[in-house]
Order: sequence, then structure tokens, then C-alpha cells
Amino acid sequence: MRKEVFRMERVTYKEQGITLLEDFNFNVLEGEIMGFIPFNSHGMASFLRLLKTNLPLDDGYIYYHEEIINSWKGAKQNSNRITVIQDKTCLVKGMTVADNIFVLRQGFKQHIIKPSVLNAQLEPFLKDIDMDLLGEAYAEKLTIFERVVVEILKGIVAGHKLIVLCEISTLISGNELKKLHKIMRHYAKQGHSFIYIGSHFEDIIQVCNRAVLLSNGRIEKILQPREMYVDNLFSLTKDYDKLVRGYLENKKAGSPKGKLVCKLYAEINSMKEPLEFVVISGECLVIQSLDNQIYHELLQILTNSRETAFYGNAWLGDKEFRLQELNTNRNFAVIQEMPTKTMLFTELSYMDNLCFNLDKRMRSVWARGNIRRSIRTEYAPILGDEVFNMTIEELSEGQKYQLVYTRILLQKPKIVFCIQPFKGADMKHRMYIWELLEKLLEKGIAVVILAVNLADTLSLADRLICIDKNKEQIEYLQEEFAALPMLAPWLYLYREDSV
Amino acid sequence: MKKLKNFRYISYRVFALGVCVLLFLLVLTVYQIVLLLQGEATLGAILLLVIVSNLFAGIFWWQIVIPYHRSEKVMKRFLDGYTLAEDKELSMSFLSPATHKELQRLEEILHSPQMFDLNKRQAQYLALQNQINPHFLYNTLESIRSEALIAGLESVADMTEALATFFRYTISKVENLVSVEEELENCKTYFRIQQYRFGNRLQLHIDYEEEEWQEIIHCRIPKLTLQPILENSIIHGTELKIGTGNLRIQFERTEKRLIIRISDDGIGMEEQTLLELNRRLRKDSSKVSYQQSETKGGIALANVNNRIHLIFGEEYGMHVYSIQGEGTDVEITIPAVMSDREIKNRGILQ
Repeated sequence: MRKEVFRMERVTYKEQGITLLEDFNFNVLEGEIMGFIPFNSHGMASFLRLLKTNLPLDDGYIYYHEEIINSWKGAKQNSNRITVIQDKTCLVKGMTVADNIFVLRQGFKQHIIKPSVLNAQLEPFLKDIDMDLLGEAYAEKLTIFERVVVEILKGIVAGHKLIVLCEISTLISGNELKKLHKIMRHYAKQGHSFIYIGSHFEDIIQVCNRAVLLSNGRIEKILQPREMYVDNLFSLTKDYDKLVRGYLENKKAGSPKGKLVCKLYAEINSMKEPLEFVVISGECLVIQSLDNQIYHELLQILTNSRETAFYGNAWLGDKEFRLQELNTNRNFAVIQEMPTKTMLFTELSYMDNLCFNLDKRMRSVWARGNIRRSIRTEYAPILGDEVFNMTIEELSEGQKYQLVYTRILLQKPKIVFCIQPFKGADMKHRMYIWELLEKLLEKGIAVVILAVNLADTLSLADRLICIDKNKEQIEYLQEEFAALPMLAPWLYLYREDSV
Repeated sequence: MKKLKNFRYISYRVFALGVCVLLFLLVLTVYQIVLLLQGEATLGAILLLVIVSNLFAGIFWWQIVIPYHRSEKVMKRFLDGYTLAEDKELSMSFLSPATHKELQRLEEILHSPQMFDLNKRQAQYLALQNQINPHFLYNTLESIRSEALIAGLESVADMTEALATFFRYTISKVENLVSVEEELENCKTYFRIQQYRFGNRLQLHIDYEEEEWQEIIHCRIPKLTLQPILENSIIHGTELKIGTGNLRIQFERTEKRLIIRISDDGIGMEEQTLLELNRRLRKDSSKVSYQQSETKGGIALANVNNRIHLIFGEEYGMHVYSIQGEGTDVEITIPAVMSDREIKNRGILQ
């Protein structure tokens, strides 16, 4: 007989009169990895808060180890013995891995701390999961993957039977994700349970026993083990599927044969050979980094942060540039990770944000109000007239994405580098981003997507370059996507074609 | 104006009085501090006042305000249609002995065997739609079966036998709780009858973990829990679907619970309909269920859910998941009990 670790029984939770979770009903069994696929982010933050703390419920019951811990009547304690791992770390900077795991544990009562003892205690745990990590390493020096593993260990040592991993696949590389899955399975066998939240069914299916599909703070369906196969989700993502199919069919009719736009050559420390690629106008090239270190080095090149020295050149037509100039040349544009948070200036108006990169194309854009007025007249039917009178904070997530991408369209670069464009976006917004990227391609702009996780990029890609540490880069053309040795979203479309 | 109206209620007056006393103590403390600064009072007097104020505030908050709010919440839920919760803490929150007795009486009525009977009978009516003398019915069915066998119509004989078995279980079996095995057997009989109508267009699968099965089949569940849901799944789910319809009954047993999931891959339901249905199931739907039209398919579910609430309590019940065009899952959660004696509210079963 299996034990039930966690249960939410018809939970309804409201904040300021807004229903964030309604009739939330699911359970997690001992040793089970339960996947969560949110179609939109409504209520997700509240769900994670409810896992950690016992907030007053409007209705329903929450059980941990089959004992009631929270209900509409009230809760017995404030917090729960559940670990939640998100993109923000809960490890304390300035403390070592061993300190974070053992010293900060609830119930740790020793007054004299011997690092050697703690390290010795940690060693069997690390050996157990085949993890090469030092107990003396400081939390801030850890890679994201190491940080996630340390947080899992922290939960395991603290006796937490339920560990929640939220959108981790967007943070770590493919190789690291495989290792993480292995670690999760290892602890699941020992009786620990996991809730694994991810946007892609293809990611969930690789590690989870069951999956919860939710939207608007309500659970739509719980997929049972027998239903955990890729085809099962197609009908739930019909609109998106239709969009991508339409795009691919159009592309088949006339594939992009634009002129050569850009050639890039970069020497990356952790790669055996320099990264080299060409991209033509209207083409979408995806560069998937299977290693996080390479990804970060590439990120530094594109965002021009000078943490490490790098060497490389880019050619735009006949003109040669140093890679350091990428950020200042308006023929290149970079859309950063989670652009709605990183690329918008809240203190500036909507119009100022929109025209931010227009200075090279229209030098007098800031001096002459009539240029901005004509931009408003031209774009109001597309963006909506009301957004021009709104502050950045007042915009919806979709409107923010639209603003960022329209700014790039106005800039009219020859090539756009997008860093993980779908990261952190729910299904609704992923469709939206997909459409915005398609618009860039339609205008003949070359799009280079940098990703650790393919996410939805394969649905747009004309080519894919996979790069790995100390390995040569492998290039796949669209015709070869069907044979890709991985389980990635939208791969089924290419496989269907090849059959 | 609204605040003035609120003063019609004693609770508001008590609350205002408490606040007034607290304010008075606060003013007194400030006055003593002023006196202390002028050298006319002692520190001891101020400390005493602070302690008395805190003590008063603490008692007022924990012993009056919080229990009162809890009691208000229960009343509000009751008015919203929920059943009254049985909770030790709540019994400490009643306003007066008279209101306490009043609520106890109400609870007695709601949890009475008569109330339960009403629900049970409704389930039987749903299965039969009219009252027929059971013995007359069984005898007639037996005669039809004999005639069919003589005429060499084995399928008719088999169908008649299944129908008689089904009626015998539905009408004549008097127990309120039955084992999962018996209930499942009745489902299979019902399905056998339906298969004569649908043929291979309808498939029934039963899923369980082999090692748990012996413990599952002996668990006690309310009679006619599974069949009405299965019937619903056929009529509102798979019947309207083109192609083969798959029905699945899945059993899962944890330490304290029995989870039964009845799924179909039929037409599913619209988001709004599902929302309404789950809202209705969350509350005590005895009144609502009478008003619903049978075509909406809500009566059977509401009825089963009501009986689960009445026997096992509000923490258990039913939840429906559905996606339009994909199918519907009905999940029933009840405590895993092997004997009727383990049931808290067993008085209701008599």
C-alpha cells in the first residue's frame, strides 16, 4: 500500500477577492514524481506559496503525510516541511555548501561547528548521487545546476519528503537536466516525492509518473501513467499546434533563400573549436548549448559583459566588427532573457521605451515630436491606442512582450540575437512570442536564438547548431530535425513529415 | 450609516465595548507616564497598567474575537450551502447555550437517517424511475428468461438474467454500505446490459495494483456509488462520441484513503459547466439536485457526493476533471474502512 505524501482536497484560495486557485484537487504519492504543466501562470505563485506556508484557505483541505495541515477552518502551523526550488536561490551567500545544508537545518543545535565533520557528513550524500562537489565551496560560486542539487540535498537532509522544482529545465543545460532527472529518480526510489513544474510535456514525460494540466488556477486533468505519451497533449495545444503547422507548411512552399547577412566567429574558452556560423536574411538559426558554461560565455559575448576576455569577429556583409561592438551597432539587436523584466524601463513612458533604439535610424526622434506622433498614429492600430497612455507597470505581460519586439522592429536590425525567448512564459505568452518572432522573420530579419533548452524554438528553426564542452559543433538542417537524438517539443511535426 | 446599522447586532456592541476598554487603559497608561515624568507616579503603577492592558487585549483577542470569527465563518458556509462541520474547536465558539443547542438540533436533522434515506431513495428512484413491486419484477424477468431459453435465444436470456441481478442489488439489498467487490460486480452487470445496446463500441477497463487488490475489494463504500457515475459516463460521455468509447474504473489505496477514479474518453464538458458542477459538489447540493434536470447529468453525481458527505464527512467527496473533446474523470475520495464499525457517523446508517 502506497503512502500519500501530499494532498490538496478541493482547495479554493483567494487573495483580495480574486480567486487564484479553485477546486484544486490532487495528491502526490510516496516516491512519485508528479509533473505540473501550467497553460498560464494564473495562480501558480499562490500555489507555491501555499506549499510553503499555510495561508488562510477559502475552502478545502491540505494534507501532508495524510495529516491535515491546513483547511478553511485554519492551520496548525505556519510553514510546511516542503522544499521549493525556483530560479532564485535560497542558499545563503558567504556560507559553504556544507553549512547551508547542515547548519541552517531546522533543529541543528551544535554551538561549535567543525567544517571537517560537516564535510565528512556530506560526502556520502554526494557520492550517492555521483556528484563532484566540494563541501567547502561557497554558495555564490556554484553553477545553477550545482545550486539546484545542493538545494535538493538540503531538503533531503532536513527530512522534507516533498521537493518542488519549478521551471528548472529553462535554467540548466540538456546534459545537466539528464543528471538532474537521474538524481530525482534516485531519491524517488528512496521514498522522496517531487513536484516537477515545467512548460513542456516533452520535458515532463521524461521523468514524471503522472502529470497535472492546469490553467486559470484550476486543474483540468491529471494524466495517469498510461496516458503519459507525447500524442496525448496535442489536442490540448490545438491552437498553438495549428499555428506552427501553418507556418511550417508555408515555409515548405518557399523556404528562405535570402542573402548572406552575417558571419560570426568567436573563440569560446570551454569549446574545443571556435564557434563559427553564417546566417542569411529571414533565417532562424537556433544555437543550443548543451553545457551551461558555454552558454554563459556566449551570453557574455552577446550582452557585452566583460567578466571574461573573449576574442571574435562578426561580419555584416563586407564590414567587419569586433564582437565587443555588437551591442553598440544598431544593425545587431539583442533580446535578452525574460525581456519584460530586463529590457523595459519603468521610469520611462511607453513611447520612450518604444523609440529607445531609434536614434541611429532617425537621429531627430527625441528632438522632433512629430516623428513620435506619426509613430503613434502608425502603430496605434497594432498595439492599441490605450497603451501609449499607460505606465510600464500597468501593461499586461503580453503588452510588454509586444513593446519589446516592436521596439526591435522599429530599430530594423539585420540580425537579432534572442536569448531563451520562451523562458518563463506560459503557454498563452509562448504563442504570442512565437508570433512576434515570426513577424521579425517575415520582415527579413535574421534571428539567432540562443538556448539551453530547445523549448518552442524548434518550431521556428531553419537550422540548429548544438554545441558542447570540448566537442565539435554539430549542425542540423531542418530536413534532419526528424532524426534528432532527443525528445524536444515540436519534434513530432518533423517526424510526422518524414514518415 | 452602515456602521450605525451594524450596532443592531450584539456582536458589534461587544466588540465596540472591548475597544473602548482598551482605549481607556491606553489613555490611563499615557496619563500615568505623564505623571511619572512630573514625578507624581511610580514606574510600578505604569508597568502594572501595561500588563493589565496586554492581558485584557490578549484575552479579548484569543477568547472572543477569534472564536467569534470562526463561528461566523461556519455560519456563513452553512448559509452558502455547506454542511455543518464537526469540529471540537468550533464547539468552543458558540455564542450562548441556546444557540449551541439550536445548531446541535439543526445538525441532528441534517445528519439524521431520514435525511440519508432521502438521498438513498433518490438514488434508487434514479435507477428505477418508478416503484415496481420487486418480487413481481423478478418473477416476470425469470419467466422471460425461461421463455428465451426454450426458444433458444441465449442472448435474451443472458440479458434478462443481468437485468434481474442488477435490480436485485439495487432494490432488494438493504445495506447502506457494501464492499468494493459487490459494487464493482453490480457495475459489471450494468455494463453487460449496456453492451447489448452498444456492442463493441463500449469497452470497460478496471485498473488496480495487484498487491493492493485484496485490501481494496474489502473496503466499504456507500451502495450505488459507482454505477450511477458509470451510467453518467456512458450517457453524457461516450454515447455521444463517434467511435469506440473507453470506460475505466481505477482503484488506488493509500494508508487512510480509497481513491476511485471513473474515466471516460467521451465528449467531455465545457469549462463553465465543469466549474458549475464542481461548485455544486463542493456544497451541500441536496436542495439543488432536486431542481436540476436529469439531462444535465448532475443528479447522480450530487447524490453520491451527498451520501459520502453525510457518512464520512465533508473532507471526503468527489471531484470532476474534464476537457471538452477529451473525456471526463470523476475522482471519489473516501476513507479506507474495512468495517461499518470504523465509521464515525454510523448512526446515520441505521
